[in-house]
Amino acid sequence: MAEFTIDALGEACPIPLLKAQKKCKEIQVGDVVIMNIDHSCALKNVPEWARKEGYNVEVEEVEEGVWDIYIEKTA
Amino acid sequence: MTARAAAELEHLKKLMLKDAWPYWVGGILLGLLNIIIFIYMASPWGVTTTFVFWGAWIYELFGGHPETWSFFTMQAPMMQTLKGGLLNHGGSIINIGLIVGAFLATAAASQFKIKKIKSSRQLVAALVGGLMMGYGSRLAFGCNVGAYFSGVSSMSLHGWVFGIFIFIGAYLGSKLVVKYLM
Repeated sequence: MAEFTIDALGEACPIPLLKAQKKCKEIQVGDVVIMNIDHSCALKNVPEWARKEGYNVEVEEVEEGVWDIYIEKTA
Repeated sequence: MTARAAAELEHLKKLMLKDAWPYWVGGILLGLLNIIIFIYMASPWGVTTTFVFWGAWIYELFGGHPETWSFFTMQAPMMQTLKGGLLNHGGSIINIGLIVGAFLATAAASQFKIKKIKSSRQLVAALVGGLMMGYGSRLAFGCNVGAYFSGVSSMSLHGWVFGIFIFIGAYLGSKLVVKYLM
């Protein structure tokens, strides 16, 4: 159950999504990726993609215009 | 106000102000607003032609003489706009409204933030990309709004041709993003 953090602050679309996809490919089932973003379109496309993959997703607004996306890789 | 009404109001506020609107709502609104622009301006919505004037006016501030450029001398309406100034140019007002409106929407969602530059690569990519978009939109007589969106919505073939090449350009661009910015 490892945990990985991706700092995607200041990154514009589609880079946060591409980074999330790349990381999720490398990790094991049960591992968690925490992605820090401040680009609102990543708030839409990253969770949308992860849910389509069947992963568990949670979003938390940590401050104004900054979010943490939690993605848990499932089988 | 009952607790239920307060909760409903909070939900509505989140839906309207914070969450991204669905693409189809945006599409319908863009279509309706383009009709309004077409009625008032007698031409469909465009964004980048205005930047020619903004650039020319800035150049004038530094003592330049854009009124000698053939773009203006050979096109009387363009010359008239150049001489008329910012406040007499509908396209400028629309673009300023666009910037102010985008700011207000972000502020209303409490998401306004000055983002930091991530890396020098991002800076170079943004500058080179911006220059290519500006240059290209002038050669193509419009951007994805003036040439594509307004072209397609007025049943002109050029909008569809533009659309095909957007796909090719976006495909190549995404390869470059993966190669240089990941």
